[in-house]
Amino acid sequence: MSSAFHAELVALLPRLRIQALALTRNRAAAEDLVQDAVANALAAQDSFTPGTNFAAWMHRILRNRFISTLRKQRDTTDIEDLPAGAFAVGATHEDRLVLKELGRAVNKLPVDQREALFMVVLQGMSYEDVAAATGCAVGTAKSRVFRARRQLQAWLMGEDRAGEAARPDAAQPEKRRPSSSHLVEEARDA
Amino acid sequence: MHDNAKQNRDDPPPSPPGEGATQPNAAEAAFDLWLNRSLHQLYDGVAAEPVPPELLRLIETDRGRRGK
Repeated sequence: MSSAFHAELVALLPRLRIQALALTRNRAAAEDLVQDAVANALAAQDSFTPGTNFAAWMHRILRNRFISTLRKQRDTTDIEDLPAGAFAVGATHEDRLVLKELGRAVNKLPVDQREALFMVVLQGMSYEDVAAATGCAVGTAKSRVFRARRQLQAWLMGEDRAGEAARPDAAQPEKRRPSSSHLVEEARDA
Repeated sequence: MHDNAKQNRDDPPPSPPGEGATQPNAAEAAFDLWLNRSLHQLYDGVAAEPVPPELLRLIETDRGRRGK
């Protein structure tokens, strides 16, 4: 089982990097987060049940590690990165501007919406898997992705339907919080 | 998982849809399509980057230790 565990872990690393970037919005912090999560997973591998959802188990470890780090570093500087794709040499100047604008808008999304959007769009995860990985209901996962899309549309197309869409969850109305602080609160309440 | 990734990397990033879509649902669908492709343009490169050697070493060391 150990060999299969390690093989699955290596295969999952690109997706973990994307999830870490969704959470941190910073490349260096994302790399650190993945490394820490991998160390945690290796230490806890005996608690993983073979045949169950390894990706969801690993995503939860990374998420919990992020929350734990947030608790310790609440006041550290939050430096956002734009992905290298925003500077693609093959794209026209106008296309690069649009992609940069999109990158900045994505970074402005509430963290749970950005995380769910990345999982569905970039990692091809089902809503069920997103729900399992983030500890929410399937309907909440769908709502987060929907709201992320509509918020980005509102920002990028200049349609101001933003107030509704920016709410972190349809089922749990609350004011938009620009930071990741509500993830900490979620974890504390769990 | 990345069925669309190669296609998305190869395609130039389109401009956001706007003028053509008149109905809200059509506009949303067009935007969602553009958004999916553009997110792949932005972030697929991040996923494709090589894994840091020290991270692979960490995993391999643990695999070797447990294999004994």
